[in-house]
Amino acid sequence: MSAAGSGEVRVFAQYDRDFTEQADVVVVGSGPCGSVVAKELACAGRDVVLLEEGPPFTPADFVLDGATSMARTMREGGLRATRGTVMPTMQAIALGGGSLVNSAICARAPDFVLDDWCERFSLEATTRRDLDPHYDAVEKFLGIAPTPDAVQGQRNLLFRDGCDALGWSSEPIARNVRGCRGSGECFTGCRARAKQSMDVSYVPAAIRAGARVLTSLQVQRVLSDGRRVTGVEGQVVAPFRGSPSHRFRVDARCVVLAAGCMATPVILQKSDDLANGSGQVGENLQFHPGVSIMGVFPDPVSPQFGATQGYQSLQFIRDGFKLETLWAPPGVLATRLPGFGHALKHTLAEIPRAAVWDAIASTHRSLGRVRARRGSMDPALTWHLHPEDVPILRHALAVIAEIFFAAGAEKIVPGVHGLPEVMHDRDEARVLGSGSYGGKALTFASTHAFCTTRMHGDPRQGVVDELGRSHDVENLYITDTGTYPRCTSVNPMFTGMALAHRTALHLAERL
Amino acid sequence: MVPWVLVGAVVGYGLVRVFVGHPTPPAGLGRLGRGEAAFVAAAADALYPPGGAVPPSGCEAGIPGYVDRYLDRVPPQTRGLMRALFFLMQHATLFFPAPGPTGFRRFSSLDHDQRVAVLSGWATSRFFPRRFAFTSLRAVLTMGYFADPEVLRRLGLAPYAFETPVCEADLLYPPIGSPPEAIAHRPEDVSRPSAPPPPLDLDGPLHPDYREPAGARP
Ligand SMILES: Cc1cc2nc3c(=O)[nH]c(=O)nc-3n(C[C@H](O)[C@H](O)[C@H](O)COP(=O)(O)OP(=O)(O)OC[C@H]3O[C@@H](n4cnc5c(N)ncnc54)[C@H](O)[C@@H]3O)c2cc1C
Ligand code: SF4
Repeated sequence: MSAAGSGEVRVFAQYDRDFTEQADVVVVGSGPCGSVVAKELACAGRDVVLLEEGPPFTPADFVLDGATSMARTMREGGLRATRGTVMPTMQAIALGGGSLVNSAICARAPDFVLDDWCERFSLEATTRRDLDPHYDAVEKFLGIAPTPDAVQGQRNLLFRDGCDALGWSSEPIARNVRGCRGSGECFTGCRARAKQSMDVSYVPAAIRAGARVLTSLQVQRVLSDGRRVTGVEGQVVAPFRGSPSHRFRVDARCVVLAAGCMATPVILQKSDDLANGSGQVGENLQFHPGVSIMGVFPDPVSPQFGATQGYQSLQFIRDGFKLETLWAPPGVLATRLPGFGHALKHTLAEIPRAAVWDAIASTHRSLGRVRARRGSMDPALTWHLHPEDVPILRHALAVIAEIFFAAGAEKIVPGVHGLPEVMHDRDEARVLGSGSYGGKALTFASTHAFCTTRMHGDPRQGVVDELGRSHDVENLYITDTGTYPRCTSVNPMFTGMALAHRTALHLAERL
Repeated sequence: MVPWVLVGAVVGYGLVRVFVGHPTPPAGLGRLGRGEAAFVAAAADALYPPGGAVPPSGCEAGIPGYVDRYLDRVPPQTRGLMRALFFLMQHATLFFPAPGPTGFRRFSSLDHDQRVAVLSGWATSRFFPRRFAFTSLRAVLTMGYFADPEVLRRLGLAPYAFETPVCEADLLYPPIGSPPEAIAHRPEDVSRPSAPPPPLDLDGPLHPDYREPAGARP
């Protein structure tokens, strides 16, 4: 072990030549998973270099317009989509990864999910008892707590009222925020500096403990001598434009890939198909497809006020979906409203009386894959919604409609092709749960992606073990949502951080 | 000889229909070509005509300029796909005409009702890729419409002004593109609130970028 370095952050304007760095550990990707590893290892006295392709965003860099913000903070300008079944999916490119733009929802994977993981994927130490201490550590560090009523706002509380009226469970969402003001702007970056995204929480702590955080660096290859990895190499890229300039290399005793479920497999494939003895790198891609409905109430809702996603219901979690409230920049939400001309404008004018609620679905049968493209680090994504998963989405829509009408909505806009654009009561909405439409009639998107470098107890069936250690290469680790063997059925970030925390403690002992 | 003349005439006619005769685009567009600008403007006003519950039209809300800037920001591959989409939708009516005797013209040369009929044909098509093309177009135009502060103000959805506290991270990162010397804050600036900040005040002032400008349109 070498002495921990003196912490620093480097930005694009500081690179004026090719360069090489040395470290005990190089962590690739500063999202929720990579940042936890970097901080914990730096605190344990290891010399850590954390590499991130995106820039750090300051409040002056946040743009409130949804599409402009997406073009700046998301990969492929926010327009990434799968082929096969076409589904928009978003991954961030920024210091802090997805945590910069996400809604800060922190949910522990339910017991039945962890039991299922252990049973199906020959895992022995990924039970509730094993993971809870790691969840606890992250929870404490980030101040994760249920959203208080003072910042819920009407659009979240109406959801609670609807669930109460139906006798269904619901609860305030636990989030990694301190001093949330309910601005509903999590998607474009928190101007209130309340959201504890990685760039304001784990990354500064890592730097304080001595980590070097190098931003605007795109890792292209993991270097190896066959049996062991020796570091990574890549290029300096300009913020937003991605244009390359200088080359860099980081030599390290251990490489931790945390570039996210889409990028980590691409890096491995571009490194001569490294760590792929199982043939599973880039396979098994799963999502939580999300469907949503806008409901219009008789009285003003002022939906711009309230925690971005403040309330949830786990009532139907075993049926395959989790219910939540939702807000995003109005221009993003309005993209799915039906109609033309004055009719469309009339619908827009109803947004101040509206709320949007969504469901994220566990669609285990719907699989895809990630493949490297020639001349680019962007992945080629294919994914297919399995016909047997469609009923889950239909059921979810029917349930959301029920909650809206139970909460007093005067109408809903379900956004299903071929069905009425507006529905005024439960009877009309019943068709949402019927088998009268297929997957192509639905509008869905997903920001939760998993399984492309899945963990498995059997080296022939998975890329890493429970600790994130490659089955093939002894000093290569992976810790991002790609290592999940199946989806979490709830929002994935917290579980990724808990698993990363466990990997970090293991590495601190081993190195 | 005669067949070649005929083929030449047909090809020439086709090229003229596709590439010639577009109105002059508004000044200041960098990425959108003439034909693209004409299409985007026509589609913007078909989706968002003047007046009604939210008065600005698509063009008054500056959608063409917005799309032009947006094209500049997205990666080249995405830009190529968006341009292909504009081209396809602009010229599809040369093969599948809009309703009425004058329907056999490119999209931007149709009248308002014909444009709406064409767009609803795409929106309600049973053929998923056609519907998806429309959804993509609508998404870009709608995001452009909502980028106009006037639209957000009219809807009562404009963002509010509030003070951004200084945190430890603000001592670490300069604004994007600047060197570390551009970091404006010092350790003594870091906010140490004694109580949680108050919830957003819906009677408070709007964010400066969204305030009514002097001499605003009525
Ligand atoms: C809009 C949105 C809202 C969401 N809301 C929630 C929520 O509320 N709760 C929740 O649990 N989940 C949410 N998610 C999902 C959650 O943010 C992700 O699951 C989580 O961020 C994944 O963490 P990660 O560390 O695996 O990857 P990421 O967060 O994707 O981080 C990977 C990092 O690696 C960097 N990187 C990639 N390739 C390279 C390379 N070649 N070289 C260098 N760096 C590279 C990326 O730029 C990125 O910063 C949301 C996601 C989005 C996009
Ligand atoms: S709702 Fe607003 S104040 Fe609260 S965490 Fe999100 S962006 Fe920050």
